[in-house]
This record gives sequence, structure tokens and C-alpha cells, in this order.
Amino acid sequence: MIDFLLFAVFTGLLLHGIHRKAIARIQGRPGPPIWQEILHSLKFSFKETWIPATASEVLFVAVVLVALGIWSAALFILLLEGSILMLFGIYMLHKIVEHGLGLSSGSPYGKFGAIRSVISAASEIPLFATIGAIYFVTGSLQLSDIIAYQAANGPLLLLMPPVAAAMYIVILSKMHYSPFAIIEAKEIVSGNRTEHFGVWRAALDVAFSLKTFVLLYAFVLIFIGGIPFAAVLVLMLLLLLSLSFVCALCPMLSPYDTVTMQSLATALVAVYLVAVVVIA
Amino acid sequence: MNSLAVPAIGGAELHVIEFGDIVNYFSPYTAMLFAFAVLFTVIAIVSRPERQVDIAFGGDAYYTKDIQPEQLKFQRFMAIACGLATLGAVVSGDVFNFTLFTSMVGITNIGIVAAYKNRHVLNAAFQYGIVAMIATVPLFGGAAIILATTGTLSMWELFGSAIAVPLIAKAFLVLGVMGEGMAPFYVAKAEITRAPGAPYVLIIHVSSLLLFLRVVEIVLSM
Repeated sequence: MIDFLLFAVFTGLLLHGIHRKAIARIQGRPGPPIWQEILHSLKFSFKETWIPATASEVLFVAVVLVALGIWSAALFILLLEGSILMLFGIYMLHKIVEHGLGLSSGSPYGKFGAIRSVISAASEIPLFATIGAIYFVTGSLQLSDIIAYQAANGPLLLLMPPVAAAMYIVILSKMHYSPFAIIEAKEIVSGNRTEHFGVWRAALDVAFSLKTFVLLYAFVLIFIGGIPFAAVLVLMLLLLLSLSFVCALCPMLSPYDTVTMQSLATALVAVYLVAVVVIA
Repeated sequence: MNSLAVPAIGGAELHVIEFGDIVNYFSPYTAMLFAFAVLFTVIAIVSRPERQVDIAFGGDAYYTKDIQPEQLKFQRFMAIACGLATLGAVVSGDVFNFTLFTSMVGITNIGIVAAYKNRHVLNAAFQYGIVAMIATVPLFGGAAIILATTGTLSMWELFGSAIAVPLIAKAFLVLGVMGEGMAPFYVAKAEITRAPGAPYVLIIHVSSLLLFLRVVEIVLSM
């Protein structure tokens, strides 16, 4: 388990590097090497670390540990093919990490990042429309049952593409440089992560790399099904590159436009779900 | 011995706490939510608040805001009350108790920021309060419909396939919980977040998310 955790961390960091490289090449820039995020995390691990004088010390540190804890737990839920309700519960609790990072430092940039993260909580709603639809179709929220269902009936990606699209938007909203990434927009420096640096930033990079790995892995398992692990990695990479294209080509939305887009996605999935129920 | 009728959603029950005919329970899912609520309640108890830095426009000056001891005590008290209400809601085995704890969360959320004498924050708290109070109508309405149509509010019975809960009751429950601070009814919450006292303000968001996670499990199980 520990070896897989380390594998997931380094793969997640590598995926972040590939994401940056792909965005840069699409935008006609050379971009950093793909291992840049791994080097960043190592560098931050050995940088001077302190807690700002204005910070709420316990909360400042606790949210970093919570971020590491929840995404490690999410990875193990995936490996054990557990409940996707728990998995997405953890995804929602990540929102608390985002709030806590921004609010704990006392920095105005962090605070604006936290306020924006409250606004961007609309991204969680398409997720639960997705879960409801999956439960209705497969009759279970256990990942093992969902994989078994797909083995018998074909991938959910083909059976319920609008639901997969909603999940895709959910993942997109959590990617760096995404049109929905209003909490870390450049006009507020690094947003809610502005004051976390040194070993805190390294730990956050590790936690967020796990988050990327888990979300991409979960998408493949939930919508494609049980396939060899090498094929899973290839599909994760293709999924990431498609996300990079969206991030490279779409401007960042305004905070209220992000809410509108995510609410529309939820409404579309709800309409789709009602249509499926009526037809069934 | 109690046994949940639908163990697949939140997992099989791990432990039950009986209060007469009201049976609270821990499943892997509710235990996770409970642990998270405990964690942030403890953080609210042991943390000192941050000192928010504000920039004075028109120059390069900045100043920090300190929370007065009386305000800190009140915020901390309300945050702990909010945490306890959340704990009650996430392990409740009874729909009425769940709705009661949910409405208590809404009240304590207003209390957490009400002590901060800032016009924007107080206006936001007022608006949040209006939405939260209106949301209690579908919340308790959902519970009332469930009782009227099934004759019980116990999740132990409602989770079984023998009892059909009307879709409108489920929709009302979800709507009621969303009104306590989920999108798209959460606009005032963004302004509330401006209030100082991060460990206490944070539990506003913790409680909303945990309640939403719980109600999703409840309506899918019924």
C-alpha cells in the first residue's frame, strides 16, 4: 500500500508537470520540463519554513495534514474498490481544505481565495447529480459493483455520456489553470495558498498530486471499468491531455460565471436523469 | 439487535447508540463524517483566531484586526454548538432528529458571525438567516410528509424496501439542507467568510458540507 501511495504521489506530480507542459505547447511557449513539479516539491521540502505571525497556527498546519490525510484515504478507497459515496464525500471535504488554507493565514489574498472557494462550492453539485445517476443505473455505489456492471453491460461512458461529461467538468474545476480555478487566480497572487510555503507547500503539492491521480483514476474506473493497470495509466494521461487543451484554450471565468456553468451542468444531468427514469 | 436494511450505501453499521426508540448509528460513512466534525470542533476549541491583515487603500499602509476577548468567547461557543449539532445530525437514525439538528446548525451559523460588528458581514448574516429559516419549511415539511405517508421517521425502517418514501419528501429534505448553505442558495455565505475568526467561520462550511453529504446518503437509502 505504501509503495502504491508513493507511486501515486510521483505520478500525480508528473501529471501536473505534463499538464503545464501541454498547456505551454498549445499556447506556443516552450514550458517547463515535465518533471518540474517533482523538483518543486523537493525544493520546497528543504526551504525555510515558518508560520506567519498573523496566522491561526493550529488551523494553518492542520489543514495541510487534513489535505494529506483525505487524499491518501481516497486513494485507498479506490484501491479497495470501496464506496464512491465515501470517495466523493472526501472530494467535498477538500473544499474545507481550500477554505481553511485561505482563512487561516490572515492574508488578504488568502482571504479572497477562501471567499472565492466558497463561491466555487457550486462545483460539488454536478458531482452528486452524477452519483445519483450512477446509483439509479447500476443499483450500487460500491466501485466493485460498478466495475462488475460495466463488465456485463459495457462502459458507463457510452451508456450515460451526459453523466460522464458532468464528472469531467467536476475534474476540470479542480485542475490548475482551469477556467474554474478562480481560487488561485493570478490577480490574488496564489489565492488561498499564498502564505503556505516551505514544507507546507511541499506537503500541499503532494496532497494535490494525489488528488489529481485519484480523480483521473476514479473517472477511468467509474466510466470505463476494470481494465489492465497500464491501460488505466494511458487513459488517465489522455484524459489529462484533454483537460490541458481546455485549460489552455479557455480563459478563466468570472466567479459568478463559474457558478452558472456548474449549475447548468447539474440541471442538464437532472433533466437527463428524469428522462432516463421516464423511459425506464 | 439492530440491523440497517440497506448496508450498501453507507456500509454496514459498526456501532449503535440507543436513546429509547431513537437509535443513532455509526456506519463507515457516518463514522467518517463524524470524525471530520469532531476534528474541526476540536480545532475550533484549541485554535486561536488569525489576525486578518487589511490593506488601507490610497497608500501602502496596512493594519491587522484583533478579535476582542468577549467576541472570541461568543464565536467559540457558537462554533462548538454548531459542531455538536453537526455531530448529532451525521449519526442520527431518525429523520426528525436530523432535521432538528440541521435547523440548529443554521441558527448557530448566524451566531458565529453575528458578534462581529461589521455592516457587510451582518447584512450577509441577515440574508443567510432569511434563506436558512425559509429552508426549514421544506426541511420539516419533508419529514412531515414522510411521517404522514409511512407512519415512521426511523431510518431503520425507512431504509427497508418495504416502505416507499414519496419522491417529493426526499426532494424537500434535500432542498431544506441545501438552504442551510449549499449552492445555489449560499450566496450570502461568501460575504460571511469575511468575518475574522477562521477556526470558527470554517465550521460554518464544515457543517453545511457534512449535512449535505448525510442527506444524500439518507435520500438514496430511502
